[in-house]
Amino acid sequence: MIVESRVLALPRANVDTDQVFPGKYLSLISREGFGEKLFEGMPGGRELLASKPGARIIVVGDNFGCGSSREHAVWALVDYGFKAIVAPSLARIFHENAYNNGLVPVIVRDPQAHAACLAAERLSIDVANETIRAEGCEIARFELDPLKKEFLLRGGFMEYLASKVDTVRAWTRRRVS
Amino acid sequence: MPQSLFDKVWDAHVVEELPGGNALVFVDRLIAIEITTPQPAAEIAEKFADRLFDASRIVAINDHVSPAKDTETAVQAQALRSWAKRHGVVMYDVGANGICHVVTPERGYVEPGITLVCGDSHTCTHGAFGAFALGIGSTAQGGVMLAGAIIMQKPKVLRVNVSGRLGNGATAKDLALTVIATLGFKGATGCIIEYHGSAIEALSMEERMTLCNMAIEAGATTGMCEPDETTIEYLRGREAQPKGEEFERKAAAWRGLKADPDANYEGVVEIDAAKIRTVVTWGTNPGESVSIDGAVPADADAQSLEYMGLVAGTPIRSLALDQAFIGSCTNARISDLRAAADVLRGRRVMIPTVITPGSQAVKRQAEREGLHDVFQDAGALWTHSSCGPCLGLSMGVVAPGMRIISSTNRNFPGRMGAGGRVHLATPVVVAASAVLGRIATPDELPAVQAETAAANR
Repeated sequence: MIVESRVLALPRANVDTDQVFPGKYLSLISREGFGEKLFEGMPGGRELLASKPGARIIVVGDNFGCGSSREHAVWALVDYGFKAIVAPSLARIFHENAYNNGLVPVIVRDPQAHAACLAAERLSIDVANETIRAEGCEIARFELDPLKKEFLLRGGFMEYLASKVDTVRAWTRRRVS
Repeated sequence: MPQSLFDKVWDAHVVEELPGGNALVFVDRLIAIEITTPQPAAEIAEKFADRLFDASRIVAINDHVSPAKDTETAVQAQALRSWAKRHGVVMYDVGANGICHVVTPERGYVEPGITLVCGDSHTCTHGAFGAFALGIGSTAQGGVMLAGAIIMQKPKVLRVNVSGRLGNGATAKDLALTVIATLGFKGATGCIIEYHGSAIEALSMEERMTLCNMAIEAGATTGMCEPDETTIEYLRGREAQPKGEEFERKAAAWRGLKADPDANYEGVVEIDAAKIRTVVTWGTNPGESVSIDGAVPADADAQSLEYMGLVAGTPIRSLALDQAFIGSCTNARISDLRAAADVLRGRRVMIPTVITPGSQAVKRQAEREGLHDVFQDAGALWTHSSCGPCLGLSMGVVAPGMRIISSTNRNFPGRMGAGGRVHLATPVVVAASAVLGRIATPDELPAVQAETAAANR
């Protein structure tokens, strides 16, 4: 799988999930239309989005997705059309939620490589081979969790857990005895 | 090999190792709330024949907005209610509920050595009991509902030793904010914070919950305290705990659940409790705090300053306020309300002040002690239990530009309402600030005349 598109750059660190998807919308059960709320909690957020129509890759600052565990933040990014997020680090729960919803979490720790991603007009992310290219040249490599990469590429998180039910039940019986 | 407290709880719950350094980790307790449960419940009903791994391990709580305020929240609450009923899941609903991180401990559903998850980031609160408790997303929660387990890589463990005793009016909230400032807002990412030391041992369970509640604000997977007699006495007699010999057998096991003396940690941080002072946040994340006697820092982040409408060098005590809030899973338990009442007794608030107990049980206890009269005599609004304005949901959301002092846990932009400016503080500081209309401590308040106090009752 290759994700290639224009880049939306959001260099700010510590963008929390309240800014990505405000708490006042947590009462919605359906996930429809979440993209319309994306970044509504961030000062200047909607204007930033409007400045790069068609972007499917978002490059963000350190510790993106911190704060609330709301999966709604990832649902909003995906509903808007984002396919990959590039960051020096992602907050734990957001990172997990990204894997579970097909949003490719691309961790680029090297400051120079991250800066190059932020500056790029377009990026091409090869998910299977874990490389990032800009203008035809490889500018960074990244690593995905090998198990969660499967869920990312082929889905099946819930099916995988369903396949573990008997193992877990057997374990609980051993634990009691 | 010597083990940390976390290592022991982890090892006791690994069902099997999975590829990529992951493990399948058994979950003893799931707290199912109305915000994050209906989505996985619908998916399981649709694709997995509505199966549930073990209903007896789940506690359902309508907590964020309860009773419902509009159609959406009513639909959510009803979805949780009907799911719980269908599966025979125990449920705390309107009238018997409250914030899940207050209700769960007070009913005795958390205990040392267990694994506990909930679709809410402040689930780390329950680490106060020596449980491995973490917030997860809705999809991961679906996995727990279906298979009773989560998939995760083993986190590292950071040891924070807090020696001495808290003094000078400093509280567990001040300790929590000091730990975040010391480690950094993302300083504990990928780690469990294990709290040790004489200052932690001296804390009550409610104070330990306040401390562990904010572990997520340092990026930590969760926080944990070692169980001891304080833990055991708190749990004795609680609704979900067994009685008599059975409880004593469990307590004996809990007493043995300690970190080995020579356990290895990713890092060790030493904090002297005696040096901790009352702190207030000035910025837009909980790591941006300063002593209440100080000023907005000279090196403050420009974007934070702009959002907060502040300039570097401004004394914290000079900041005029528009609203005050005491509530949330951080600071709305009975000890918090007693401390606030001690400040407000015989005084009047100058700004709109909302006081929201953490659960209906806390509310009833406060009313038995007459605290609701103290608050209402002071001119504050005393509400039913709710998450309320903490995350901008209901009952006291602020307008753009409004400055609020709050006993909650997050001062993110827009957290308590779009454009709102949040200063995090202890319930005592919130109460004193409400009286003076600016950020203040109780020692600044004029003495209450005995007759005034009597007249106000």
